[in-house]
Amino acid sequence: MKRKDNNPTFESYNRDPKLYDEIFDEHENVRETYKTLFELYSEHSAQDFGRLNNKAKASFFNQGITFQVYGDHEIKEKIFPFDLFPRIIDSEEWEHIEKGVLQRSKALNAFLHDLYHDKNIIKEGIVPLDLISSSENYLDQMNGFDPPGGIYNHISGTDLIKHSDGKYYVLEDNIRCPSGVSYVICNRTALKRALFGVFNHYQAHTVTDYAQNLLEILETVKPKGVDVPNCVVITPGIYNSAYYEHSYLAKAMGVELVEGRDLFVENDFVYMKTINGPEKVDVIYRRIDDQFLDPLEFKPDSAIGVPGLMAAYKQGNVCLVNAPGTGVADDKAIYTYMPEIIKYYLDEEPILNNVSTYHCSRPDELKYVLDNVHNLVIKPVDEAGGYGISIGNRLTQEEIEEVKATIIASPRKYIAQPIMSLSVHPTYIEDKECFEPRHVDLRTFTLLGENKEFVLKGGLTRVALQKGNLIVNSSQGGGSKDTWVLKNNQ
Amino acid sequence: MLARVANNLFWMGRYIERAEHVARYLNVNYFASLDAPNEQSQSRQFVLQSMLYMADDFSRNENELKEEEVLYDIALNPEKDFSVINYVKLARENANSARDLISTELYESLNKFYHFVLNYPVENFKKSGLYDFTVQVNENTSVLRGKIRGTLLHDEVYAIIMLGINIERATQVIRIINSKYKDAVFAQGSYGDTLKNSYEWTTLLKCAESYDMMRRFYRQTPTSITTLEFLILNTDCPRSVMNSLNEVCKHIMVLSHEKHPSKHSSAFLIGKVRAKYQFKIIEEIESDLQAFIENILEDLNNIGLKLEKDYFHY
Amino acid sequence: MNLDYTIRYTAKNTYQNETNGALWQFLIIPENNESQELISDDFSNSLNTPVENSVNGYDFRTYRIRPKQSFEEIEFTADFKIIKKVENIFEKVSQEFSEREFEDLKSLEFKAGNDVFLRNTDLTTLHQEVDFKFDKTLSLFENLQNLNSWIKEEFTFKTNVTDIDTDLNHILEIKQGVCQDFTHLFIAIAKQFGIPSRYVSGYLHQGNGYFGDSQMHAWVECCLPDSGWIGFDPTNNLIAAENHIKVAHGKDYTDCPPLKGVVYSSGKNETEYTVQVSSQKQQQQ
Repeated sequence: MKRKDNNPTFESYNRDPKLYDEIFDEHENVRETYKTLFELYSEHSAQDFGRLNNKAKASFFNQGITFQVYGDHEIKEKIFPFDLFPRIIDSEEWEHIEKGVLQRSKALNAFLHDLYHDKNIIKEGIVPLDLISSSENYLDQMNGFDPPGGIYNHISGTDLIKHSDGKYYVLEDNIRCPSGVSYVICNRTALKRALFGVFNHYQAHTVTDYAQNLLEILETVKPKGVDVPNCVVITPGIYNSAYYEHSYLAKAMGVELVEGRDLFVENDFVYMKTINGPEKVDVIYRRIDDQFLDPLEFKPDSAIGVPGLMAAYKQGNVCLVNAPGTGVADDKAIYTYMPEIIKYYLDEEPILNNVSTYHCSRPDELKYVLDNVHNLVIKPVDEAGGYGISIGNRLTQEEIEEVKATIIASPRKYIAQPIMSLSVHPTYIEDKECFEPRHVDLRTFTLLGENKEFVLKGGLTRVALQKGNLIVNSSQGGGSKDTWVLKNNQ
Repeated sequence: MLARVANNLFWMGRYIERAEHVARYLNVNYFASLDAPNEQSQSRQFVLQSMLYMADDFSRNENELKEEEVLYDIALNPEKDFSVINYVKLARENANSARDLISTELYESLNKFYHFVLNYPVENFKKSGLYDFTVQVNENTSVLRGKIRGTLLHDEVYAIIMLGINIERATQVIRIINSKYKDAVFAQGSYGDTLKNSYEWTTLLKCAESYDMMRRFYRQTPTSITTLEFLILNTDCPRSVMNSLNEVCKHIMVLSHEKHPSKHSSAFLIGKVRAKYQFKIIEEIESDLQAFIENILEDLNNIGLKLEKDYFHY
Repeated sequence: MNLDYTIRYTAKNTYQNETNGALWQFLIIPENNESQELISDDFSNSLNTPVENSVNGYDFRTYRIRPKQSFEEIEFTADFKIIKKVENIFEKVSQEFSEREFEDLKSLEFKAGNDVFLRNTDLTTLHQEVDFKFDKTLSLFENLQNLNSWIKEEFTFKTNVTDIDTDLNHILEIKQGVCQDFTHLFIAIAKQFGIPSRYVSGYLHQGNGYFGDSQMHAWVECCLPDSGWIGFDPTNNLIAAENHIKVAHGKDYTDCPPLKGVVYSSGKNETEYTVQVSSQKQQQQ
């Protein structure tokens, strides 16, 4: 079946032969996995999609599944744009991803343990000491400390892309407070509401089991001597852009959603203030950055943290999830050592590819980067959210010179990677009332606990809604798609 | 339940209820005045003063009021603390903080309500939207009342919201009585109208959505005595002060774990306040209505403070 | 021979406006280590708020108190008894010059093991050249002793010319400061040469007329490959020994201020504190 057959909404879909298209192969044929879906979608007219699209938008808006955008004068609420065409990953492909992200999470956990204990990987010269000692995310307070269950990165978000060679590459590992999982679940709900019929033809894994698994993971890392731990989620508050997610997770796990001011520490135990007096808290899934956790240990003016929390943690009376200080290992400069890190701790070959990376801190690589800015993506090593990224082939000569000057000023702060061509996926374009190819990536969610692990079968497929844009982050105006992981035998 | 979240639930209830009463007060007074039987009650200044007096914490303005300005300030001016739009914002903000405890259905309705108020076209409102806006606000608050009752487990969460709603209802009804009593005093005398038979009593009942109920109960034209008796003491009238106090008593027992509340508890104070008004007679109240109003507002305020100290302290 | 010390720490906090709740953490308890033994500690406050025992980020003991009532003034008193060993530091350290020790300093093993105390912090980073130079023909220990004397000679002890945020540029310019400043300077120079160095907060027995006024004192500990951690007191050009009673260490002052607090109050506040250290030789048994 060819893409334009009987499908008016695909009339203006122009496949770029240089890019990997998730649903059409190089002969313009619909790939096997998408055949049924494509047929089903052909039954709908452009108007149908317009209507469904509006319905889905209204549903998100009314449910208050929004994030806040800070404009010049006021705070605006926006919905995270949702796309009607789901992404499908077959079971074989998924198995590869699942093994790969689990491998990375475990290697990172072992790496963190080492960094906060003997530092063998550094002493053996595999990872340079510089990367650690210049990292602002290394926390002395964690030195020599053993977190409950031996787990640091309980929750990891791994960002993957599919390159033009059809292979998955890891773009980054997020092991501080990775967000986005609530959107995975909302996207599924929204797609079910809008197009429930299509689900009859595919057997996709559920995504709603995430919260239950998260709760079980939290319970495995309870402090010693606690029978049934009292778990909570801590949020910076209702003005945080991820507040919806925090409240969703608390509600779905059936635990309290607390703010710093709801907690206090007494004799190194943590309590929350309830209507019936203080109640002890054992495990805290924290959605507050390290530096704001405890004004006695970190930023003294943090009003969202809990004074004394670190001491309670270090005395083993409460568990923090993720552990403080994980940021040292998800630095973009550390990323480039991931293949070595995996080999060192697990004695395994990396399952997922790393994008090759140039370190501006190394003189010869710096020279290559400066000579080839137009062919590279330049990234600051410690910025989140897609900020500060320059894509070489989009820059004017003047801008290239500016970028060079910035790199020369602080080479340690930048890495460069070849421009990866993210795969494209049909995406409903509102103004044109039709589907067009747009770049997508995939964030997966991995959970590690004591003797328990879980990878969410699904993930957040993020879409760059502007044509040709490669940055898919939600704070940069990206959207997302429901992502189906198929069960076997389809 | 977290003390802070309990506080949020309590105030969510209060702000929803407050928005409702203010919106209805605007509607009823404005439209009643258009064809009021006497000149005073028909005067624009008279009705605008009354609205501002009720909405803005019993303050009187000596200046000439502009209709467009007053209506905008009370309904949609985000700069005014006493505007309906602000109450709805606050209700939703409180709901946001307790979002994990309330039902998705309730949150969704409140959120829709918020967006409705927020996006209400201001120019449209100023020109011809007063009726539509206030009626929609009242419709929305009814929907919220339904969701609160029908989609929440009737446990502590529900009890706290209902405490907020009922304390606020009693407070607002008393405030409305206060305003309309003042209006009745001002309006009396013109065309031989007496205070006892003032047209303002009918308006007062309508402000509390109790006119039909009252007519059914007394089968006569409202007078000062019957109106006050109905709105203050009639336990079957769902808007009466006594009815609200009974509700407050019922819901505090869900939170209190004592069968016989100890003398320093919230439940004890609430029971005591209820007992104080339970056997009041209307003639006694009417003889010094002003003192009664001040007294009961203080009692209600004290209940709020006591609840805050016992349950919402964080 | 041992010395008996008694230490009294008193502090008074006053607030312009009544506060509503507060939390203080005191890092003032003498550490138990090879050279000193804490015999007793006692801590009280004028509001009779219960005292909690806890630790800071580097696992040093702390007192914490959280008054719930409102107040305008609060006083704290701590009393410690300790026994300090009198020992000859020079016997412990390697004073012999050896090229190998210089090389060890550069080894990955040593650098990685002491990474925390080789890191730069805002307060211990030099932005300009200093006149002090390491002499590669002398032992590391001797170099550090020279650094100690250099600071003592070049800089004048003077209070109220610097505060806790003063950076090294300013200190190098005015050539004055207090023990914190000299400690930061020493750390910066030693670290620049690759010697792991840390800030020590503690008490100084001033019986012999040492500088440091009646407050908490600060000095440096450096880690040498052959000798381990050794204390240098640049304010007095001394090797830290029986007159130095250690409380805690960290990368710089910000890791070990004696008092940290979170106070819910508006307006100005003031903290005054004093320290008294007295000693007597332990009676022969």
